[in-house]
Amino acid sequence: MSAATANTNLPRRIIKETQRLLSEPAPGISASPSEENLRYFNVMILGPSQSPYEGGVFKLELFLPEEYPMAAPKVRFLTKIYHPNIDKLGRICLDILKDKWSPALQIRTVLLSIQALLSAPNPDDPLAENIAKHWKTNEQEAVETAREWTRLYASGA
Amino acid sequence: MESEDEMQDAWAGTSDGEFVNEEEDEESDALASDDDNDESDYGFDYSNVDDLHPSSRLPQTNFTILSEKDIRQRQDEAVSTITNFLSISPADAGVLLRHFKWSVSKVNDEWFADEERVRASVGLLEKPATSKRQTQTEMTCEICFEVHPFEKMRAPRCGHYFCETCWTGYIHTAINDGPGCLTLRCADPSCGSAIGEDMVLSLVSTDDQQKYMRYLLRSYVEDNRKQVKWCPAPGCEYAVEFQPGVGSYDLVCKCGFNFCWNCREEAHRPVDCETVNKWILKNCAESENMNWILANSKPCPKCKRPIEKNQGCMHITCTPPCKFEFCWLCLGAWTDHGERTGGFYACNRYETAKQEGVYDEAERRREMAKNSLERYTHYYERWATNESSRAKALADLQDMQNVQIEKLSVTQCQPVSQLKFVTDAWLQIVECRRVLKWTYAYGYYLPENEHTKRQFFEYSQGEAEAGLERLHQCAEKDLLTFLGGTPTSSFNDFRTKLAGLTSVTKTYFENLVRALENNLSDVDIPKAAAKSSSSSKASGSSKGRGGRPKVGSSKSGGSSRSGEESTHWSCEHCTYANTTAASSIVCVICNHARS
Repeated sequence: MSAATANTNLPRRIIKETQRLLSEPAPGISASPSEENLRYFNVMILGPSQSPYEGGVFKLELFLPEEYPMAAPKVRFLTKIYHPNIDKLGRICLDILKDKWSPALQIRTVLLSIQALLSAPNPDDPLAENIAKHWKTNEQEAVETAREWTRLYASGA
Repeated sequence: MESEDEMQDAWAGTSDGEFVNEEEDEESDALASDDDNDESDYGFDYSNVDDLHPSSRLPQTNFTILSEKDIRQRQDEAVSTITNFLSISPADAGVLLRHFKWSVSKVNDEWFADEERVRASVGLLEKPATSKRQTQTEMTCEICFEVHPFEKMRAPRCGHYFCETCWTGYIHTAINDGPGCLTLRCADPSCGSAIGEDMVLSLVSTDDQQKYMRYLLRSYVEDNRKQVKWCPAPGCEYAVEFQPGVGSYDLVCKCGFNFCWNCREEAHRPVDCETVNKWILKNCAESENMNWILANSKPCPKCKRPIEKNQGCMHITCTPPCKFEFCWLCLGAWTDHGERTGGFYACNRYETAKQEGVYDEAERRREMAKNSLERYTHYYERWATNESSRAKALADLQDMQNVQIEKLSVTQCQPVSQLKFVTDAWLQIVECRRVLKWTYAYGYYLPENEHTKRQFFEYSQGEAEAGLERLHQCAEKDLLTFLGGTPTSSFNDFRTKLAGLTSVTKTYFENLVRALENNLSDVDIPKAAAKSSSSSKASGSSKGRGGRPKVGSSKSGGSSRSGEESTHWSCEHCTYANTTAASSIVCVICNHARS
């Protein structure tokens, strides 16, 4: 499918959401559609303050599947991150991306939830087992590693 | 049908009074009462089932076969009961019933205990969660962001309005995700309001409606596993309801499939579910391959691949890339071998080590594995053979019912109703093959060291097999002579013979099943009482040789013969009463040692 056909007949909802994301961006979040495919978004989330990710710039990709908004968007971290709910491939363990998805949720709500997940890691529902274990046995050390990774991989350089 | 039963009972009566048992009477009463009903009631529709009704079972008063129609009717009744009791809408009643697994009493109990809590957990809010109901004529849908006239907007009781198209998409997605659509909640992520059947069905396509109704029907069975289960036969659409009570777990579905309620495997009396499970697992498990490898190969000492030695000398060279050369006997490197270790055909190191006991364990393990594999194969072959005989007999039975009976009726000038004894015989053969098949699984798991039980079991199994052969022969070969010819007077003799054999075999197998289900407890006697019981068993078995052993009821006897004990001993094998004086070690008749 060529880029042109992919972008024709884009549902009004996606057009509206894109417009709003661009005109009134959420604080610490930017999302812009790719030029070739308007269902593919380049996302950047700033590490929330008072979190081990503070000062980091995290790149993500977000894709709206054909069924959207009846099906959840697909989101993945591109920047390496040390977090119990995010695995080494960047996949995110977040209920609203799975069974708790509702068509009344939006790209903006999803990204805000991810931002909140950075502020409040949940090692009790882990995706990356070893990181979660680290978090539970020695939180201080794990947080230190997360800071280290933020410096190494998300410093925006 | 009634008359047939009576005939059979009469038959039994002439030969042995004990024959007429209560179960049969109950059953024939039930049969009579249900005779001409079609599927209109919930009752077990005996008119079909009787045709495939194996005999060595207890009456099935504790099962009800449900068609889809029956299930729907039950669902409707439950919904209307709840609707009346709680004064709520049928859709809400459905939501409650699905949440409480279709138990009317559970819904009642929970509701009257704490209505508020129940409403909250199932999503039946009393007041709208949002009072946003707008007065304007147009509204923006929060899903598609389009502006719609108000008539095109829909909301559950919570008042979260979305446009009909988005609701349809939302519900469609849920239906295609599976049975979770039955407990669908409002599309607003913060709202837990239930989406009832009425709203679902009013919005989706016919296709989705059908899927939804299908899930709804299935939920009655699948959410209610302790009381209702689907018949496991492929393509069968009946469900079975179980009422705890008397009787066994074996049942026959209306489709003719004979299965065990508890484990949903095919019917397996006299063997219990656990044994069946083990046996089936064993039959398909890789463990037998493992046993073979263990018994017939040794691992290469270097690369550990299993090697089967099928020819040649003890000098083994492993296949590339390993190429390790070693001695088959001691598994040591060949370079250590030579003239001084015994040369090509022997290995002194092995012989010495064997004497010292070093190799014993591995050797023993291999030996054991080999024996156990042979033992398993023995039982499996017989189990499988009986299964294929059963399948063959079932096909013959169907041929009999569909073709031969008609023919026989014409050549012998007999009404078809008078020929039921032929199909009865075939039904009995099918059932006997099934029982016999499972006795081999039973035999496999009967501990080797219980010699008395094993001997008795094998004897009973042998008798069962012989009896069944007689019946099979009569039903197959003898019948042929009547199929082609003209009406013969000997046909009545044939009827007498076949019905008699059927009845005798039936009783024998019933007793066998009962005895095995009791785990042959009559044989299980303490050593001290061994003498008296051996004579009691003798009395039981000698009856058997008369054609009708009461395997399970050898309680009597025994003591009455205790006077003979000092002068006689009973052979465990053939039950002959030997005199203690003549030969006290070996049976005079069968040459088996006295145990």
